[in-house]
Amino acid sequence: MGIRSLAVSRSRLQDLGLFGPKGRLNPHCLLSSWPCGAVSWGGGGGAEDMVVLRAGLCPGLTEEMIQLLRANGIRTVVDFVSSDLEEVAQKCSLSYKALVAVRRVLLAQFSAFPTNGADLYEELKSSTAILPTGSPSLDQLLDSGLYTGEVTELMGAPGSGKTQVCLGIAASVSLGLKQHVLFLDSTGGFTASRLYQILRARAEDGEEQLEALQRIQVVRVFNIYEMLSALQELRDRLSQQVVSSMGPLKIVVIDSVSAVIYPLLGGKHSEGLAIMMQLARELKTLAKEFSLAVVVTNQVTRESSTGPLKPALGRSWSFVPSTRVLLESKEATWEKATTQRVASLAKSSRQPTGIQVELDIGNGDVQELSPATLTQGL
Amino acid sequence: MQREVGSLPLAPALRAKLVAAGFQTAQELLETGPCGLSKELGISKEEALEALQVVRQECPGDVARTAGGSGITRKCTALELLEEEQAQGSIITFCSALDSILGGGVQLTKITEICGAPGVGKTQLCMQLAVDVQIPECFGGVAGEAVFIDTEGSFMVDRVVDIATACVQHCQLIAEAHQEEDHLKALETFSLESILSHIYYFRCRDYIELLAQVYLLPDFLSEHSKVRLVVVDGIAFPFRHDFEDLSLRTRLLNGLAQQLIIIAHDHKSAVVLTNQMTTRIGQNQSTLVPALGESWGHAATVRLIFHWDNSQRLATLYKSPSQKESTIPYHITSHGFRDVQPPAVTQNAEDTEMNPRKRPRREEEK
Repeated sequence: MGIRSLAVSRSRLQDLGLFGPKGRLNPHCLLSSWPCGAVSWGGGGGAEDMVVLRAGLCPGLTEEMIQLLRANGIRTVVDFVSSDLEEVAQKCSLSYKALVAVRRVLLAQFSAFPTNGADLYEELKSSTAILPTGSPSLDQLLDSGLYTGEVTELMGAPGSGKTQVCLGIAASVSLGLKQHVLFLDSTGGFTASRLYQILRARAEDGEEQLEALQRIQVVRVFNIYEMLSALQELRDRLSQQVVSSMGPLKIVVIDSVSAVIYPLLGGKHSEGLAIMMQLARELKTLAKEFSLAVVVTNQVTRESSTGPLKPALGRSWSFVPSTRVLLESKEATWEKATTQRVASLAKSSRQPTGIQVELDIGNGDVQELSPATLTQGL
Repeated sequence: MQREVGSLPLAPALRAKLVAAGFQTAQELLETGPCGLSKELGISKEEALEALQVVRQECPGDVARTAGGSGITRKCTALELLEEEQAQGSIITFCSALDSILGGGVQLTKITEICGAPGVGKTQLCMQLAVDVQIPECFGGVAGEAVFIDTEGSFMVDRVVDIATACVQHCQLIAEAHQEEDHLKALETFSLESILSHIYYFRCRDYIELLAQVYLLPDFLSEHSKVRLVVVDGIAFPFRHDFEDLSLRTRLLNGLAQQLIIIAHDHKSAVVLTNQMTTRIGQNQSTLVPALGESWGHAATVRLIFHWDNSQRLATLYKSPSQKESTIPYHITSHGFRDVQPPAVTQNAEDTEMNPRKRPRREEEK
């Protein structure tokens, strides 16, 4: 076997927490804890490792070379790069030098480069922003706000206030930071008059309120393909850096993600799961590449009619958001109406899980009523 | 277009073949063309052409994109949405307390769900709304038509006649009091016959018929563009009995919910659903909760729960994106859905029925 270069993308390293005390990558951690098959050949746009060898993929790779390689069972870039070039040169009667040159170009084109942990830290410090949610107690729960480059999830039962918190976040980013907001609505729950109410409670000036409203763009997507194409459009617009009425975008709010995925899940085919992971990947790459904060809302389900509540979309989706907040009403039944909600941290990479804060989602503002309390467990 | 192949709405087998052959983006597909595609994948030319058509539809490319879908823009700023919402009307229910907690009435472009125990008045409200949606604009209505999809068979035409007659009388009183031109003109077309002829009634006996009806509804609505209300009376009934596979039920219900949201949004109509109640047995007590499970709770944008408090009927707004949670009392008279009259008026005592659990029978009035 030839030398297989183990190139790994930086985000994978970060997620696995393999940095040593001085911020430098610890190679022992890498070799011992790395699960097999988890190496990603991620280059710029998340290229799959199934890239087929084609003429013109790199200079020196001619059509006849490809035919000869194919005849010997080498179809994709991975096959080529991981095979023993001397053997290949002999079997296909091709020049060894040419093969080595091609391999070098392919590696440069398709593999990711490892970076120093310290450089990564510096880059993160300069490119990450923390966006306020408009509610001081929620900010405290989220370790001072929504981090760009990450996916944050809000989950809760119907009527628990997810849409209200999303509207509050959109209002706060648009009004306070004067940044643009993209709101993808898949439930039809976006009510502009409620948003206006929230804005009026926070800003006195009518001009400011109208400007803030103009900075929030709302797209209604009612199935998964529409959502994916809306995200794709956003990506095109951001990567071309078109100067449009869009302006600087820092946050994407999606309410809700489970409404479009639920009709596809279950049953005998794993189609739904594949599409869900497509969406997951799209969201994560958007967040990382363009330094956006992505906020999604999710439902909760019960396993049986008496079981405890758990987040919808299953285990596969639970790895997508880096932070998960559960919203609950303070009263147990619907008979007592209240605007009090309790937000608890269900998953976080920065704070201990289980801390709770109280929110008030009514009266024109998502505002805090009492200081945060620390409780053990959920 | 750099749209990934995995995210295009193609058949799963075709998608698997595309990925195995090494295609990654939609651009590569379009460049290869139908002949190259059919050769690489081993599929027929027609299939390749079809697939390319789907791809072209999804990714219009650099040509200026026309308003997506059937000419309805789904993208706008919040300011434009606010203007739209303020210009939109809502369907009144003739019970002013209920209208005020709903923010003016049943909102258009949203799904409202009414849950309640049997006999509390869900079908009554649906019938009232089917009449109220037709009130002309000069009287404060939306001047639309109604679609009534009935799964339980509880639609009583003679009851609708009573409600409609009362509504027309009410409007006549207003017109007499104000004596304006347009009021009188509108009254010429607003009569019992026209009200009844503008309620389109569908009877669905099981869940398959219901699903088919809802999926065929967009075509019907594009022909009858004045429809502003779609009522599904009894969405729980076909899904609750006789359904072994619960995960299939969840999937079907969620698909149905998305379809209804699309109908509500694209045709600017209100969708009203009625749901039943079931008992959840907790640790040491049992509570009444809406049926069809947790995930169904997310389908409706606005949720109203009707319940009893001794002999008084109450309506609680449980879930709404713009209004606070609150509870109000209401009343069902022979004229339909009404506010609770103050107890001093003796007329009220005659309307309240002896048996509080049953729907009020028509008294011999006058």
